[in-house]
Amino acid sequence: MAIATKRPATGRRPATDRSRRPAPRLPVLAAAAIALAAALPALAQEQQQQAEEPAAVVEMTDLLAFEPETVTVTAGETVEWRNVSEVRHTVTADPAEAAYSGSAHLPEGAEPFDSGFVEPGDSWQHTFEVPGTYDYFCIPHEATGMRGTVVVEEAQ
Amino acid sequence: MIDRYAPLRYALLAGAMTLPLSLSAVAQEAGGEGEQQAQQEQQQQRQEMISRMQEMTQADGYLEAHRGVETPLHRLGGPLNVTITQDGGGVFVALPGRRELDPHVFGTPDMPRAFAGTPVITGVPPAMRGTEGGAYTELTEPSPFGDAFMTMGSASLTIEATDMTAADAATTEDSVDFEASWQDEEGNTYAVTCCKQLATHGLEYPTFGGVVTNHLLHGFSGVGTPLMPTEYAYLAFWGIGDVMKNDEVVDENRLVHGMLTEYVRTEGYELALDSEVNPQGRHFHLMVAPMQPVPEEGLFRPQPVNTGFTLPNGEPLPFWHVMFESLEVESTQGEG
Repeated sequence: MAIATKRPATGRRPATDRSRRPAPRLPVLAAAAIALAAALPALAQEQQQQAEEPAAVVEMTDLLAFEPETVTVTAGETVEWRNVSEVRHTVTADPAEAAYSGSAHLPEGAEPFDSGFVEPGDSWQHTFEVPGTYDYFCIPHEATGMRGTVVVEEAQ
Repeated sequence: MIDRYAPLRYALLAGAMTLPLSLSAVAQEAGGEGEQQAQQEQQQQRQEMISRMQEMTQADGYLEAHRGVETPLHRLGGPLNVTITQDGGGVFVALPGRRELDPHVFGTPDMPRAFAGTPVITGVPPAMRGTEGGAYTELTEPSPFGDAFMTMGSASLTIEATDMTAADAATTEDSVDFEASWQDEEGNTYAVTCCKQLATHGLEYPTFGGVVTNHLLHGFSGVGTPLMPTEYAYLAFWGIGDVMKNDEVVDENRLVHGMLTEYVRTEGYELALDSEVNPQGRHFHLMVAPMQPVPEEGLFRPQPVNTGFTLPNGEPLPFWHVMFESLEVESTQGEG
């Protein structure tokens, strides 16, 4: 489970999907109604999640690092990544997106995740349900060593 | 709190603020007459060395055969149209810095390679190479092609390019419409536009009509500085453009080079050696070098770029070498 939060009115295009496709040609009103109906539960869920304090915060920096590089949380807890740099980063734990074999690793049973571009000043959260060690990386800066680890311990 | 200027401070501490290519600058005032004379002699020797390197440029014969061609042939497959954009996000701005010398590109002190041509732009004279244990270590002076960098925000990039003309010639059917901008922390906007004119043929190395696609550049290729690693360029161009600050032209008619390549930065954003290039990543490089072409002599001469950007130590940044890394790329082949 992942949610993105954005700073107010930056004027920048949110880039949550790097493989953008042309918009489907639905009638405008019908599309708006569908979007509204779909958005309401998601919005409520997001507000509820945003109200929760993350168990750990990781900063994404101009020096192309996740700081701290390793965080430890308990199953069911949320980690928040904050982009404090001037450039876009991603939080990606998906071996299919990695150029190097060691960049992404997931515990057995865990689903891959990818934040898409997190804009400067924005943040992104992910809640970890499956215990184990997650190795993740930033897609644009994988080669520069921008990698991190989340250790998820069993809930007591 | 992140120290954005940490890499810059490192570069400053390393004495990186003097460009090697201000070589023709007058000798600094010396304490005594003898010391001044020694400096002048050293300067003269250095200028002679540069002239000798420029006379040895390997591409001169090839360029001689092409620069007068008035009706150049087309690339196979017809025109290739490329659009590259970045809307927002940031950029990496290279600062004067040093870099490790790759033995695959530069050879060894016993068997040096890649030394001919204008220093730093086309070759690296052995005198500018550090040595240790029978191997080259790093460039002894800072250049635009080093490991030091800083980031800036609010970036924008738009390129519409067509590659049609195959090889160097007197005329071209290639075209480039290029505009890039970014902002510093104080809110100043820096921009580069291109191309009023394309470099239809090169000086010291070929430019393929001004635009080339799907070609190896730099490193051992002999096209462009060997201080950049050998890299596959999906698109590259060379042309004449302007440099702006806050919507005002601060330097005009500069040689602008851009290229979309495989990813050539490694841990800590250091420039890759050839064996460290990442073929699965891509980024775009903008270069406005502190050199200007002298077509009648077939070489380059030092000329700092008036970027309008001042480094924290009060020195002006004399070039733009800017990397864009969150790109949208599209291409179409054939007559549209």
